[in-house]
Amino acid sequence: MPMTDNSAGKTGATPEGVRARDRLALLTADNAAVPLPAGVQAITAILLAVLLIALPWLGLGYRFLSIAITTLYTAIGLYGLGLQFGQAGIMSVGHAALMGVGAYASAILSVQLGLGFWTSLPFAMALSAIVGGVIGLPTLRVGGQHYIIITFCFCALFVIVLTNGGTFTGSATGLDVGSVTPLPGINFDKLSNNYYLVLAALFLALAATYLIGISRYGRTLRAIRENEQLARSVGINVDLHKLGVLMVSGLFAGLAGVLQLYYLRHISPTLFGAFPSLYLALMVMLGGARYLYGPLIGAVVVNFLPEVLNLDPVDSRIAYGVCLLLVILLLPGGVGAGIKNICCAIRGGSETQVGGSNGRA
Amino acid sequence: MDIFVQQLVNSLSVASVTILIGIGITLIFGLAGIVNFAHGEFLMVGGMATWFMVGAGMNFFVALVLAGLLVGALGFAAERCLFRFTLNRPMNGFIMSIGLSVILQHAVIRVFNEFQKSITDPVGLVWTIGGVDIIAMRAIVVAVTAVIVAITYFGISRSRYGMALRASVSDRDTAELMGIPVRRYVTGVFIYGSLLAGIGGALMISLFPITPFTGSVIIIRGFAVSLIGGLGNVGGAVVGGLVLGLVDGLSAGYGYPEWTDAYSLVVMILILVLRPQGLLGGTLGRKAS
Repeated sequence: MPMTDNSAGKTGATPEGVRARDRLALLTADNAAVPLPAGVQAITAILLAVLLIALPWLGLGYRFLSIAITTLYTAIGLYGLGLQFGQAGIMSVGHAALMGVGAYASAILSVQLGLGFWTSLPFAMALSAIVGGVIGLPTLRVGGQHYIIITFCFCALFVIVLTNGGTFTGSATGLDVGSVTPLPGINFDKLSNNYYLVLAALFLALAATYLIGISRYGRTLRAIRENEQLARSVGINVDLHKLGVLMVSGLFAGLAGVLQLYYLRHISPTLFGAFPSLYLALMVMLGGARYLYGPLIGAVVVNFLPEVLNLDPVDSRIAYGVCLLLVILLLPGGVGAGIKNICCAIRGGSETQVGGSNGRA
Repeated sequence: MDIFVQQLVNSLSVASVTILIGIGITLIFGLAGIVNFAHGEFLMVGGMATWFMVGAGMNFFVALVLAGLLVGALGFAAERCLFRFTLNRPMNGFIMSIGLSVILQHAVIRVFNEFQKSITDPVGLVWTIGGVDIIAMRAIVVAVTAVIVAITYFGISRSRYGMALRASVSDRDTAELMGIPVRRYVTGVFIYGSLLAGIGGALMISLFPITPFTGSVIIIRGFAVSLIGGLGNVGGAVVGGLVLGLVDGLSAGYGYPEWTDAYSLVVMILILVLRPQGLLGGTLGRKAS
């Protein structure tokens, strides 16, 4: 199987897999063991930051900015999912429920106790993290597909609980909140200011993901992903790390959920049910969970594609499904891996992955 | 008492559909090693195809067979084009099946619409036995399911094909060395499971209306049934279907009907955590080689 020269990764594929991938070997090779030179990384980051900050001034209209906000808070949630799936190898198809925990915690605090955005945010994030850890308890016993089915069940259960929660959770109609408490001189009712609020949170999420990726902690997580028994035998506390990363993922989800709540001003159970969860899983697979910009790419593609192609909701969902199949069959590492491989082909180097790693999830 | 017997027949007919989808999942998950999340959509497609054919003036029982064959062909296509590439990466196969279920669901909405569809009772008879009214169609549904269960059970446990299949699950390499075409068996199991989903869909629409979203609801019950019974265990799936049907019936009658869906979810989470191989023992799925 042709592999790029700096490929540290064994793809772990048996003959069938090899044949399927051989056709697009260049695009699909998983060869990001060595991070890019710091300069290139920095330039990419700066260009991206400038583009995102300048977005509201490009005069693209109200609708565009609304979709951009949706994309960004989705991406924050995706960075949590990307962390647990890409680094620790724990996939979930119930992640929207975790965002829902944050959103509902914040909304209930607002309705019952009158807490505003800033005061309820820490509580909501903490609760999401705790719930993330609790939902993660089964990972200590079962893995892989079984755990995915469990997360799906939790997500469905969460919606049932919300729907039967009476006035406390607002039942099927949901809850309303006011706007974000203004900071001195900044009124978040203005859409572009709301955008910057979400963008700041996204930068936090990106920075956290990057730091975790290059840290000892990230390496430990990847060791668990690659070989749990081996990790255990060299003295890594696997159970604690698994729960830990799921709690960090919950923090991200809580933040995303609260931002979603205060952008929409109204939440209902269907926002956090099976379908949104499946789309989160789709986005993270599409973008590539192991790449620093993968989740962001996934969110951008899924949120903007229907707009660009002018698809109605039914067609766009069919298109998502087809994209997902194509990505898994042709680009198991996601679009992020594809972009990286194109860069490699051009530079003969290797693009940035969150830390270095080999193999695939 | 009369009402109880009537309820029993009704619950049995509903449980039949659940058992059919449960058997499909238990075979595909337990023996072929594929978690097909689109299995519920296969059932829905079978029901929709039946609705279309009956609407076009076809006899229901002909439509039932055709729907089974159609969904079997759909399963063949899905296995050949998609799942055979992910046999060694079950996680990717699982995610792909989610994509497939989204596609099928919305393709049906695109072709027809998202409203619920129903057909008139194709038999239209009511038998009165000892003062109990039994709708003939419901009895037929139970009978068809019983026949299918019997065929599947003896096919897996007694025939040489079933034996070869079980051999290839327990040790793929040795089975291949013994000349068993393991890949072909995987395809065969997938097609058979899909065929059962198609028949299940046809039977379902003869009982109550279905919508394009029915599949994503019933898939959870299907997984619950197959996990209660133990993966790859046909008899277990029957027990699981009956238990779940009973729990649902009781909770609807005596408990909190709005929590009905929650019971099967909680049961499933508990089983997955405590006994991942299923309550009654099973194969734990094909080991990734």
